[in-house]
Amino acid sequence: MSDAIVTARGLSKRYGTTVALDNVDLNIQAGRIVGLVGPNGAGKTTALKAILGLAEFDGEMNVLGLDPRKHRNELMQQVCFIADVAVLPRWITVEEVVDFVGGVHPRFSREKCLAFLAKTKMKNTQRVRELSKGMIVQLHLALVMAIDAKLLVLDEPTLGLDILYRKEFYQSLLNDYFDEQKTIIVTTHQIEEIEHILTDLLFIRDGKIVLDATMDQISDRFAEVMVNPDKNEVARALKPIYERQIFGKSIFLFDGIDHARLAELGELHKPSVADLFVATMKGTYA
Amino acid sequence: MSITWNDNAPIYRQLRDRVVAMILDGVLKQGDALPSVRQVAGDFQLNPITVSKAYQELVDEQLVEKRRGLGMYVSDGARDALMRSERERFLTEEWPMLYARLKRMNLDLQTLLEKADAAGSKS
Repeated sequence: MSDAIVTARGLSKRYGTTVALDNVDLNIQAGRIVGLVGPNGAGKTTALKAILGLAEFDGEMNVLGLDPRKHRNELMQQVCFIADVAVLPRWITVEEVVDFVGGVHPRFSREKCLAFLAKTKMKNTQRVRELSKGMIVQLHLALVMAIDAKLLVLDEPTLGLDILYRKEFYQSLLNDYFDEQKTIIVTTHQIEEIEHILTDLLFIRDGKIVLDATMDQISDRFAEVMVNPDKNEVARALKPIYERQIFGKSIFLFDGIDHARLAELGELHKPSVADLFVATMKGTYA
Repeated sequence: MSITWNDNAPIYRQLRDRVVAMILDGVLKQGDALPSVRQVAGDFQLNPITVSKAYQELVDEQLVEKRRGLGMYVSDGARDALMRSERERFLTEEWPMLYARLKRMNLDLQTLLEKADAAGSKS
């Protein structure tokens, strides 16, 4: 586990009487793209803030060998962050932002940033308030991609963007940024769009991690089977984690049942992450 | 380009099949370079590990070779080797089933050839 980028033990956080994180353990390895997925209010942003040292918390946390509470400055040189709330002041120009980040961040490459911006329609003299939402995200992306950081944290980076911008965002990340020395943690509600990009999946619900697996483990563990009505009882006896109906047939989702055994009930499919999410989170708002 | 993956086979396998189809169709010829892992990951929005795995399969099957520092290239003779294995697969797996079906339907060779010629002259 020498390659661990983030390890947390017993991570907890309360806001007053509300428990935002409840005894969470994390173990994130280098070179992974980890999706942190959960319903609104599940604790995603709180977990990210704890990793970045932006919030107080209880428990043990180690990020790139540092404690985010004690070594925030050193940590900030190695991590990068896009928050779901745009934080750039509206009066600042593109040029001024680039100058500013160049001035404060020792690992920022001005050339890289400008090269990326040149591929967009943004002009260096434009102010943030003149940019569309998509362009503001492109600007954020240009800034973080020009920082040679080991860990990139993205909190709903594509929220409110159209599909063209969303695709381009991940395409840029994969083409020009990511390599096996880097690690990305991303939260998003558009899970179906990035499920093939991810190498690992974390589901969080009510402050607890309810699923922590690599994508390979997921295809080994979970399977969906469409079952003829005469075999429904046999299927239910195997304790599916979810059941839904399509065209009068039941589709069962199983966790950890031998695939050969399930194949006797009907045709097997690999569930999408969205299906898994619905099954895991059922009853969240009830 | 947008691609839909089916959920019955791992994606690295489907990616491998796609490259194989391109070699068989002559879209990729021997000596041609394959796009980099990064490029494919970006274009198809896949994680790079999946792409590397697909490429590794092709290397293991000797259809593609790694040239140090340069990337992946379609091996000499890849298409011939694929043709052989695809023919072999057709003859051992698909043909017996197809043959049994033709027999069940009482279709003789003459009728089949006439139909094939008619279809061929139309296209």
